[in-house]
Amino acid sequence: MSRHPPRASGYFRTSYAQDHALIQTRLEWLATAALAVALCGVPLIASPFLLDLATQVLLAIVGALALALLTGYAGQISLGHAGLLAAGAFTVGILFKEFNAPFWISLPAAAVTGAALGVVFGLPSLRLRGLYLAVSTLALHFVVVYLGGEYESKRGFSTGIMIDPPSLLGVSITSGRAWYLVMLGAAVVALLLAANILRSHTGRAWRAVHANETVAGALGINVAAAKLGAFVITSSMTAVAGGLFAYHRGFVSVEAFSLYLSIQYIAMIIIGGMGSLLGAVLGAIFVTLFPYAIEALVGMLPGSQRYAGSLFAVNYAAFGVVMILFLIFEPLGLVGIWRRLQSFFLLWPFKQRPVGGGRK
Amino acid sequence: MQLIVNILVLAAIYALISCGYVLVYRVSRVLNLAHGELMMLGGYMLIVTAATISSNPIAAIAGALVLSLMVGGLVYVFLMRKMTGEMVLAAVLATVALGILLRGLVILFWSAQIQYPAQTLALSNPTLNLPGGASISFYSAMLIVATVVVYSTLFAFLRFGSWGIRMRAAGQSPLLAAQRGINLHGVYALAWGLSTLTGSLAGILIALDSGLSQTIVMIGLKAFPAALVGGLDSLVGALAGSLIVAAAEVLMIHYVDPLLADVVPFLVLIGMLVVRPWGLFGTREALDRV
Amino acid sequence: MNSDTMLTVDKLEVVYKRAITAVQGISLSVARGQIVAVIGTNGAGKSTTLRAISGFIGIDDARVTDGSVTFKGQRIDNRPPHTIARLGIALVPEREKVFPNLSIAENLAAPVAARASRSERRRREELVYHFFPRLAELRARIGGLLSGGERQMLAIGSALVCHPELLLIDELSLGLAPVVVEGLMERLVQIRRELDITILLVEQSASVALAISDYGYVLENGRVVLDGDAARLKDHPEIKEFYLGQARAGDRRSYAEIKQYRRSRRWYG
Repeated sequence: MSRHPPRASGYFRTSYAQDHALIQTRLEWLATAALAVALCGVPLIASPFLLDLATQVLLAIVGALALALLTGYAGQISLGHAGLLAAGAFTVGILFKEFNAPFWISLPAAAVTGAALGVVFGLPSLRLRGLYLAVSTLALHFVVVYLGGEYESKRGFSTGIMIDPPSLLGVSITSGRAWYLVMLGAAVVALLLAANILRSHTGRAWRAVHANETVAGALGINVAAAKLGAFVITSSMTAVAGGLFAYHRGFVSVEAFSLYLSIQYIAMIIIGGMGSLLGAVLGAIFVTLFPYAIEALVGMLPGSQRYAGSLFAVNYAAFGVVMILFLIFEPLGLVGIWRRLQSFFLLWPFKQRPVGGGRK
Repeated sequence: MQLIVNILVLAAIYALISCGYVLVYRVSRVLNLAHGELMMLGGYMLIVTAATISSNPIAAIAGALVLSLMVGGLVYVFLMRKMTGEMVLAAVLATVALGILLRGLVILFWSAQIQYPAQTLALSNPTLNLPGGASISFYSAMLIVATVVVYSTLFAFLRFGSWGIRMRAAGQSPLLAAQRGINLHGVYALAWGLSTLTGSLAGILIALDSGLSQTIVMIGLKAFPAALVGGLDSLVGALAGSLIVAAAEVLMIHYVDPLLADVVPFLVLIGMLVVRPWGLFGTREALDRV
Repeated sequence: MNSDTMLTVDKLEVVYKRAITAVQGISLSVARGQIVAVIGTNGAGKSTTLRAISGFIGIDDARVTDGSVTFKGQRIDNRPPHTIARLGIALVPEREKVFPNLSIAENLAAPVAARASRSERRRREELVYHFFPRLAELRARIGGLLSGGERQMLAIGSALVCHPELLLIDELSLGLAPVVVEGLMERLVQIRRELDITILLVEQSASVALAISDYGYVLENGRVVLDGDAARLKDHPEIKEFYLGQARAGDRRSYAEIKQYRRSRRWYG
């Protein structure tokens, strides 16, 4: 598996620390700094609508990173991502309704709930592989959503639970800008967490388990622990994302966590590119913005009023088509396209990297 | 008594749907998560044929079934064929994507409103009274009949038909099958066609019985635990699994909580996965091959 | 070209994943009614050659990049496997020999035997039982429960049901006891005699293969390094030494010489 893209000549790594560093060259430092400044500067210039879009994207990135870790790296398929998001959201909602808990209690509580559910979701993975595991997570999704619905109806919140915005030092977070910064922080933390897990022993164990469980076991990796750990960590991340989602919306309801949401998250890591953090980020951006792009496109068609009612159907259909196109024609996803572009410029005028020799 | 009738009807629905999961899985080891949508499409095919071909109900239903056989084959040729050789997960996700696409298209063409093809075809749905004070609607009874017919045909086909033996052979070892001159693509397309056909039959009968809308996709999805509980590669298993899941569902709704309807099949599924992941009648090696 | 030639492989080159050349310019020819052996160690290119003939290289992302495979005057390289099978080439594979959950009778019914009628299929099934009476006894048993030898019989049998003119056999002796292999080899000779089927044997075990074949090819590193009449190959000093293990003590040569030998391409016979 290639962690690093090919580099131009003249750059050599001379120590393991260098090989593991997240940011390697001066140019990369500059680019990172520029990106950080740009991301922090967005709220100053963006319209409220764009800011809201950006906030949604950032939230999706957190969830997508978790799923990319679980499926792309540890190789454990999950169709129950929406269930975990729902668990986080409902933890926040229930704690708020029942105990009026502040966010610094309810978000960690969501993380704990996620971790506990991670054990539940992960236990089948000790016996099951591949499709069967995916099916068990799918079943758990329905169970979690049912429990949420049950809570709603038993407590009389049949339309959903309203949540007050969280407040920090007496200031409640309501403005779009504040939410943007919160989500930006969450996304950055998630990204750093993911990157650090991947360059640690844990991440290598996950990849080994993904490649071949038997061999990984023979190499002294505790396969069960690696799988469970992957489920616990990523479920926890996902549940926190769900909690943030609940706060951001100010409203929790089971309708928001349909199977379609799970599929959207899976689509993010497929479209972005399986087994790559950059892919998860790109996929989250793509999938989140997709409906808005479709809306804009449909709006440009003549007689668009006629379609206004069935916009969500157009969305469904187009989304299905895009997923199929990616699966058939670009299994490596957006990252694959990106890497090919990179290689094209780096290797020019040659077309292919030498086989066997050279760094892959 | 009414409870038993309800269980039987629901079991027949699940069985009729889940044999589609089994057919496709058995032959190509792909889990078809678009089966619910394909089944729904079958119902809409009936609306199409009723409007265009004939208002004679039998001709319309036959037309819809032929159409769905073709749809299934086309799904293989244009989508799943491209996924052969890819990871199993990719193939499953392709079916998920297909499901979303179909759902969108169905709403675009026929709107999200519930439709009653039985009215279009001017068919009535009389209630039949059974001994013991139970009653059953005509199309529910037809569902049970259809399930019996479909299953006995499938058993005979797979056991004695030369294409049936080839289908079983291709499912066990595609490589060897190709070496023996079996046209894998033909066999796979046939499996997809038959699976869609049986699913559509279920969709059509449900539509005639209680109307047609997107909600019947959920029935299709709930039939999947039935297939898995019995063992994904076993037809007998699908029958047994359907009966178990239907019984659990009906009894839970009746005695515990109607809200449980959509969860019970999945609870049964989880229980089965924990105890015996390959299902009641499934082959064990299937689990390791995934 | 001899009109009796059934299969010709001409300067065949196969490349895996657009990168690794497994077979570099192998030429073979198999005459009608012959048993021809292809021997060589692991990685010599035997299996790749066989797969190129039977059309099974696409699966491993390999392609015939140069040369040709001709069967009865028809080019068959890079064609899909089931069409090759229908032309009359049947393969007895190295692994996955039988369908594990089908009974023996069903295993024999599964192959598409050139759209044969029911009575014709019946006749072919009986023919298999004629060569392998053991299979007739076990008719209803499923493939997965057979022993290694019985499995190999069934594999050969279900290849015969395809009514082939050319039988390709990949590693017949693999994992079988010598006495079982001997019995199977005798059966092959009988099949050739009674059905006039041409057989191409691919073997690591040179002694077994050369014992029943008419002609032999020795492959090394994707090339043909020796070929000749089987009887003369058996007496060739290098074959004796490297494949039959018959060198006299103290007579063994060093590896450097072997390498030199590998580089040289010689013709014999």
